[in-house]
Amino acid sequence: MSAITDKKQRESLAMRYERIFSFLAPLVAILISFVIGGIVIACLGKNPVQGYALLFSGSLGNPQKIASSLVSACPLIFTSLAAAFAYKCGVFNLGGEGQFIMGAVASVTVALTSGVEGVPGILLCILAGIIVGAVWAAISAVMKIVRGLNEMITSIMLNYVATLFMSYVYTSVLRDGANPQTPSVPDSLMLYKFPGFRIHAGVIVAVILTILVAYVLDKTSFGFKVRAVGLNPLASRVNGFPVKALIFVSFIISGAIAGMGGSIELLGKQYRLMSGFGSGFGFDGVAVALIAQLSPIGSLFVAIFFGILTTGASSMQVGIAVPTAIVEIIRALIIIFSVSGMAWLRLPKTKQFLAVLAARRDAKPARAEGAMASVAGTTGKEGARA
Amino acid sequence: MDTILSALPDILSATMRMTVPLLLVAIAELFSERAGMVNIGLDGLMSGGALAGFLAGYFSGNPWVGVLAGMVAGVLINLIYAYCTIKLCVDQVVLGMAINILAPALASFFYKVAFGDSSALAQGVQMATVSIPLLSDIPVIGPALFQQTPLAYIAYLLVPLSAMFFTQYRAGLNYCAVGENPQAADTLGINVIGTKVLACVICGALSGLGGAFLTLCYTSTYADGIVAGRGFIALSAVIFGRWQSLGVLVACMLFGFCDALQIVLQVNIQGTPYQFFQMIPYMVTLIALVLFVSKHMGPAANGQPYYHE
Repeated sequence: MSAITDKKQRESLAMRYERIFSFLAPLVAILISFVIGGIVIACLGKNPVQGYALLFSGSLGNPQKIASSLVSACPLIFTSLAAAFAYKCGVFNLGGEGQFIMGAVASVTVALTSGVEGVPGILLCILAGIIVGAVWAAISAVMKIVRGLNEMITSIMLNYVATLFMSYVYTSVLRDGANPQTPSVPDSLMLYKFPGFRIHAGVIVAVILTILVAYVLDKTSFGFKVRAVGLNPLASRVNGFPVKALIFVSFIISGAIAGMGGSIELLGKQYRLMSGFGSGFGFDGVAVALIAQLSPIGSLFVAIFFGILTTGASSMQVGIAVPTAIVEIIRALIIIFSVSGMAWLRLPKTKQFLAVLAARRDAKPARAEGAMASVAGTTGKEGARA
Repeated sequence: MDTILSALPDILSATMRMTVPLLLVAIAELFSERAGMVNIGLDGLMSGGALAGFLAGYFSGNPWVGVLAGMVAGVLINLIYAYCTIKLCVDQVVLGMAINILAPALASFFYKVAFGDSSALAQGVQMATVSIPLLSDIPVIGPALFQQTPLAYIAYLLVPLSAMFFTQYRAGLNYCAVGENPQAADTLGINVIGTKVLACVICGALSGLGGAFLTLCYTSTYADGIVAGRGFIALSAVIFGRWQSLGVLVACMLFGFCDALQIVLQVNIQGTPYQFFQMIPYMVTLIALVLFVSKHMGPAANGQPYYHE
């Protein structure tokens, strides 16, 4: 009896260690990545401390700058939620960029041609973005379900097709005179901006969506099934879950989220399509989701952190002439270190080590407890004798 | 249509040229996956190789130094992948993604460090083509097939060489055993970890070479995004070619042909927006996958971590 509770306690202690370490892993990863980034900056003959000071003062120095950081985090929140939702169900949606772009293309088309104005127009644009993003993802999802094709490759191919299609739209169909870009969306369709700040209502939408996604994944039976399929498709099928349908639906939801992100980026920040729109948001979204260990709330914070880095990078470039790509290097290092840290925790060797550690910490109280029990035993016997 | 027919020798020659980077990288992935290592970081490895090749060629003036630098860069970047996936058992796909973010960022960073933020593209060295005597005199196909850069000949030679290695030699069979069943291979005394590391080194070197081809033989400049998804197309070529060297060659030539075709069409057909021609390689990749891929193929233990006891 007492042996079983001991074992249980030890396991839970080991699990607690694991939880603490998996929370620490991304933080340590960020630290190490910044140190390496600093070394690279130092190798260029620049002062890394000054560089990082510029980075953070340029992104968090005053409320205006914080607002810019949040605005540049906004698209990443959407693409990271998209990546996390699909990966929770065990499918890797690398097509976030294509879905994001197609969502924006749909929105700009509706905005410039439908003539609907004001809030209904905004809602219509966003709805168009959601639907087209979902349809774009559905192509990969159908190929996955019907033909068993690797969804990573198909969704990436569709990214290139989407980028070229967008380029076709802004150079031919909806071209704004001589410039290779679309005209700006009408003023009445631009998202509400908080007076005096660059921050737009889309950021609030992103936060609400994050909470919604977290609720759906963690608290609903649909979310439970999605996660079950992601963890073990075979066991899910044995339990009678419609595995293929769940994969299909979560991939489409993933695309819808990314498409919505494209709409919001268009209506809130860019207002028009031009070369480079949405470029890199898909992969960065995947990166954010991976660092956040697929937690939607975690993704929100990591996305904001990425937004801070993006905004600060230009201040650093202006200040000490270090190319902004240093920030992308730091981001990539963060992913590598955090996923490596997580994988290290899951290694059998590490688990053993943690169990030993837990056992050692347990040993003292357990021995004391054992002594107490034996004392109690003897007193009991004495009582009976008496 | 006539213009296209008259452009046929050009298309053939361009096909042979455009196939080379795809082929090098697809064979890189073939070596990787045969040892059970799915590497989706090919695009990243290529951009690393492209930049290193470009810089080394630019500063030394010798394209062969560029080739070497491209291969070394590919290997170095892929060793990160090797350490994390083999030693720490990180999910291979996740780490491949990380490489796809890291390597292009490194390339972009070092290009800007070397040349500043100026918009003018630096002109690097170009590798000269080598004509094979007699064979290159055959009309039409002669110049197309036998007037290529040395890297092209190397790429095409790798096809029979790798096919022989995988099927004819004990070493090659042992190598494949690691991808099929690492536990069994281990009990037979095959060095599983060593083979996997070797696979990563070969994959890095060939991917870096494929990237270097782009800046040393295809164009003489480097620009961000120069790889343009070729790594992923090569990845599909391996699946499409059913993990056989010859199949991979056929797949790469199909995709190389699409690449060549879209360039010729862009030049010769006015009126249709050029973006639709540029979509051809990606669309054909998708269609080819849909039509010809069967579900369960490839090495049995592909992509799975190996926990060494």
